[in-house]
Amino acid sequence: MTVAEQEITDYVARVRAALADLPPGQRDELTEDLADHLTEVAAEAEGTLVERLGEPETYAAELRAAAGAAPGSGRNLDQRVASAMARVRGRLRAMDTRLGPPLGYETASDFLRLLRPAWWVLRGYLAAMLVTVITTGGEFGLLPRFGGELLAGLIMLIGFVLGSIWIGRRSAQLTRWPRSVVQVASVVLVVFAFAALIQAEDRMRYGDYGYDQTAVDSQYDRVRDVFVYDSEGRLVENARLFDQNGNPIRLGYPDCSEDAYEKQTLRAYPYCPEQAPFVPRAPGAPLPPVSPTSTSDPTSTPDPSGTPGETGTPLPTGTATGLPPSGTPTPTPTPTPTR
Amino acid sequence: MDTTQLLKGVLDLAVLAVLREEDGYGYDILRRLREAGLEEVGDASVYGTLRRLFAAGLLTTYVVPSESGPHRKYYSLNAAGRDQLTRSGKLWRSFATTMDTLLDDRGVAA
Repeated sequence: MTVAEQEITDYVARVRAALADLPPGQRDELTEDLADHLTEVAAEAEGTLVERLGEPETYAAELRAAAGAAPGSGRNLDQRVASAMARVRGRLRAMDTRLGPPLGYETASDFLRLLRPAWWVLRGYLAAMLVTVITTGGEFGLLPRFGGELLAGLIMLIGFVLGSIWIGRRSAQLTRWPRSVVQVASVVLVVFAFAALIQAEDRMRYGDYGYDQTAVDSQYDRVRDVFVYDSEGRLVENARLFDQNGNPIRLGYPDCSEDAYEKQTLRAYPYCPEQAPFVPRAPGAPLPPVSPTSTSDPTSTPDPSGTPGETGTPLPTGTATGLPPSGTPTPTPTPTPTR
Repeated sequence: MDTTQLLKGVLDLAVLAVLREEDGYGYDILRRLREAGLEEVGDASVYGTLRRLFAAGLLTTYVVPSESGPHRKYYSLNAAGRDQLTRSGKLWRSFATTMDTLLDDRGVAA
């Protein structure tokens, strides 16, 4: 069907819709030759039919008057709906023929018709995925599972795809009710497919596949604080970490107190001593040595001048604990005088 | 009062008269009417009139195949149509004479 024939068919349909209130016999008598007549008109001059003859509704009114038919003043709702439907159908058909050539086909529907078997296969897959979501309680991947069973899911997939193709090939012979059921089910599946796509898209973008978050860039990404313990198991306060080049190693961030924020500039660990994961084993003896230093530290930490000295204090305690082993050789010389 | 309103009453007569000289198809009849001076006549009016005259048994039709364009449906006057034309023509002439006299007597400019 050429574009001109299409235009004529649409025009006639709209004229007939506008004359819908006439008795069917009279309407047919008036319009049976209209297509032929419009073909003659179209052959006589350039321009679209609407440009040359006006809107089909106007044409119908003039035709009605000239033919001596009753004026169609009282158009009821059905007729208005019918004429609106005819107009919409005409627009769609015009769009169909206009979109066809860019796709390489006469009409867009010619192209879409070729895709129907692909839709049948997709529909079977979507039905299988819908059952997957229902039986597994909302969990789904890319393959269908029946109650979590992959093999059962694949068998179901094959069955559904074959069933969908079977229904698709027979859709023309279906009576009204089964056809409506298939159409409603198809709409449900399309809506489900969109919802599932959106959910899958979200999961991919945020990397949430049900696993714990792992740091890929650096294994220290999740470190918030550093606690240094000496060989006696005592917490070392105001410890500083450096790499082999003397650059300070920066880990974590203080989040326990205002003081800790100030300490952050000095990069002394731990930021938050009270959050230490281990406490000294003997509560009586080792704790007091830690607590005096910790009580003296907070008082000195607010003023920056005190802190350089403070960083030195852990160092002696560290060396002091190391001293006894190194000191033991020195007592050995002392016996020599007695010799 | 405009020509469109007047046309409603006399379009039958005009179409019958145009067909008396020669058979014609829809668009051809429209063109002849316009050439004769009835420029405001519309396609739908002519088509509707032809359908009505045909339904009333005043016209016969035949299709002429065309090599270049679409087939054309020609309308021609039959005996009943010719009778109708004669009667309607007489009626119009007497009506027009009456109107002319009426206007002349009262000094309405032609």
